[in-house]
Amino acid sequence: MSATAEALPGRGSPSASQAPSRGASRFSALARRAFRDARVRTISFAYLFAIASYLNPVSYRHTYSTLAERLAFANSFAHNKAVVLFYGKAYDLLTVGGYSAWRTGGILSILAAVFGLLAGVRALRAEEDAGRAELVLAGPVSRDTFYLAALAAIAAGGALLWVAVLAGSVIGGLAAGGSAYLALAIVSVVPVFAGVGALASQFAPTRRMAIELGGAVVVIAFVLRVVADTSGSLGWLRWATPLGWAEALRPFTGSQPLVLLLPVAFSTLMLFGAARLAVSRDVGAGLLPARDTAAPRLWLLSSSTAQALRSELGGLVVWLTSVGVFALIIGVVSKSVSSAGISPQLQREFAKLGEGSIVSPGGYIAFAFIFFVLVISLFSCSQVAAARHEESEQRLETLLSLRVSRRRWLTGRLALALAGAVALAFIAGLLAWAGAASQHVAPPLSRMLEAGGNCLPAGILFLGIAAFAYAIAPRAGVAIAYGLVTVAFLWQLIGSLLGVPKWLVDLTPFAHVAAVPTQSFRAGAAGVMVGIGLVAAAAAVAAFERRDLAGA
Amino acid sequence: MSTPTAAITTSGLTKRYGDTLALDALDLTVQPGEVYGYLGPNGAGKTTTIRLLLGLHRPSAGRAELFGVDAWSDAVRAHERVAYVAGEPFLWPSMTGAETLEFLGRLHGGVDVAYRDELVKRFQLDTSRKVRALSKGNRQKVQLVAALATRADLLLLDEPTSGLDPLMEVAFRDSIAEAKERGQAVFLSSHMLSEVEALCDRVGILRRGRLVDQGTLAELKHLSATTIEATFAGEAPPIEPLPGVEVERVAPEKLRFEVSGDVGPLIDELAGHKVTSLTSREPSLEEIFLHHYDSSDGRVGDR
Repeated sequence: MSATAEALPGRGSPSASQAPSRGASRFSALARRAFRDARVRTISFAYLFAIASYLNPVSYRHTYSTLAERLAFANSFAHNKAVVLFYGKAYDLLTVGGYSAWRTGGILSILAAVFGLLAGVRALRAEEDAGRAELVLAGPVSRDTFYLAALAAIAAGGALLWVAVLAGSVIGGLAAGGSAYLALAIVSVVPVFAGVGALASQFAPTRRMAIELGGAVVVIAFVLRVVADTSGSLGWLRWATPLGWAEALRPFTGSQPLVLLLPVAFSTLMLFGAARLAVSRDVGAGLLPARDTAAPRLWLLSSSTAQALRSELGGLVVWLTSVGVFALIIGVVSKSVSSAGISPQLQREFAKLGEGSIVSPGGYIAFAFIFFVLVISLFSCSQVAAARHEESEQRLETLLSLRVSRRRWLTGRLALALAGAVALAFIAGLLAWAGAASQHVAPPLSRMLEAGGNCLPAGILFLGIAAFAYAIAPRAGVAIAYGLVTVAFLWQLIGSLLGVPKWLVDLTPFAHVAAVPTQSFRAGAAGVMVGIGLVAAAAAVAAFERRDLAGA
Repeated sequence: MSTPTAAITTSGLTKRYGDTLALDALDLTVQPGEVYGYLGPNGAGKTTTIRLLLGLHRPSAGRAELFGVDAWSDAVRAHERVAYVAGEPFLWPSMTGAETLEFLGRLHGGVDVAYRDELVKRFQLDTSRKVRALSKGNRQKVQLVAALATRADLLLLDEPTSGLDPLMEVAFRDSIAEAKERGQAVFLSSHMLSEVEALCDRVGILRRGRLVDQGTLAELKHLSATTIEATFAGEAPPIEPLPGVEVERVAPEKLRFEVSGDVGPLIDELAGHKVTSLTSREPSLEEIFLHHYDSSDGRVGDR
């Protein structure tokens, strides 16, 4: 802001010598504004990246201290399709660096893609969608400046992630040079998907649609990597996905820095293309035609809850499809898991990684379903976020000025969230079973539905907690809820890796979720979680009935 | 109850946001069939008042009732006879105008469909367009039609014409006149003094959260200064100081008097001099309004 203020006094007497510096200060003011807007997300990602980069080398050294153990691990796991699905292709699992590149790079490159997409859309569509871009462009700011400032902010965010991975890896005991290159491989995904986001932003007229378009590209990139990594004959597909490029850079395992040309070329191409489109189209419009008129569709308008379902339907279908497809893939690849050649001692060590007895198809599914517990807990948060959005956009005022009570509105939204979580849980169980059944390795259907249902108690717990946080702190509540879910999940992961006392690990709900179908459903723990969730939800409704509505 | 219940009753209605006193002990009554104009500059507390009347915010002290039903503790029942138009049209971007009207109508409970169709024509609303494709004025029209079509006994309108063009302003005035004829009460918060002057039976003026003046237009005008200009043959003579009269020389032969209260003593005084022309003017609502806001500190933070 201060830079804008500095730029103003000179406005009345423009002189050639001043012009460049004024332009530069406008540019930096815009870039800083854009960076500040995204700072919470950027910093959260940076923490996550640093922690993951630190944990992997440390836990590997701790778990597999001898060469024999490492060999056994490498032979049994590295080429196991079910594991490769999550982490990508492993080139060398006998060194700390090779293992870290595989685990850290495999997961973080996906997160980097999500980060790039969100940053690209935020910078190039969300601002326009909200009408703020119009305000900026009405001033003495060219579209090029606006666009470049947004890119500079994304680049700064990417640089921060690079530092986070570097710092985490180096503190975790990896060599500085190799760590820097690993960080580069991961962060190389950011500009590519920022480019995807920027392009999607040119086509889609709304932020939501741009994220949906770009999200589809992330999913396709991930599926391509899964296919390339899990099927021997289609390995060349790795070159068709930016997530594959990150693998092909091969940090710590025979670096191939020339591969960097691919992300550099493609992100330049997409960002340049998006820039050309951005400066030649109408501000606020997209290249895809927006359907502005429609015959009235009068279904689902009978109550505020019905209309909420109508609004959320699109998002719900995306959640259900993503979880369903992922569960199906997990079921199919679970066949390739076997315990042959893994010593019982090593299997116990895997258990410490939070992976249970991952060495049978059923055990692998149980391990994978821990992620669905996380997904459904995040879904709960997202539904409370949707309710909050209705309030911050002040549409809730419109509703509550009619014959809709606060109690009915909030319980309706929570019931909807619960129904969505139930659907997600059982779709996951059903489709994982279907996938496994297609390979003739399926546990009984009833056990798989149990595995799905097993994800629900934690989801209900976090739904209640998120609702309560939202009710007492309308503006910060949703972020608090997402933060709690993330911390609770990492708590168990980190706690079990570092061997902290059991009572400390047990503080997180995730420690009390049984690994169904290998273990049996823990009714007691589930009952406690559901109970706390319901009490929190009831408290949320009571608190919400007593507070002022809060706009953005 | 035998006596008709007031549409709006507030007693000592107060709202604090942290250290800011947004509304200070408001006492207000609006009767059925009455159009009440609620005036005040930005941040004076107009929207705060409406949010308290709707039970969207909780009073720090005092209470508000709509048709005898408490606005906070029994909000849903209070809303049965109320329709509301917000200052900003907050609607669902992906729903069309027709869908929005249907949805809001169903939530309200009862809609006069024939009247709604008539209003759609009157306000020239294209209901097939999605809300996100409508301009601010057109979104405002969607809200207005939805509210008016309920034929609710009380219309709470928060700057309802801020985005309307002059033609639509006429349609709006016609609709409010119809509502009044039917015995509906209207609470109209507005900046448009001409609109308030044309429509309202009674006016309240809010300043820094306090109701500083209230009454019918005639009463407000009576209480405020009347302007009298006198032109004399030759140079204006010195005039004896009179209580409640301020004198200003606007030209050598012309004096302007601002008279609060009775004009009789001044007329008597002038009768002794050779006056060639005499004009008298009642204050406009604008002058009354500005009179209350002479000092520049009449604002509190927006809420």
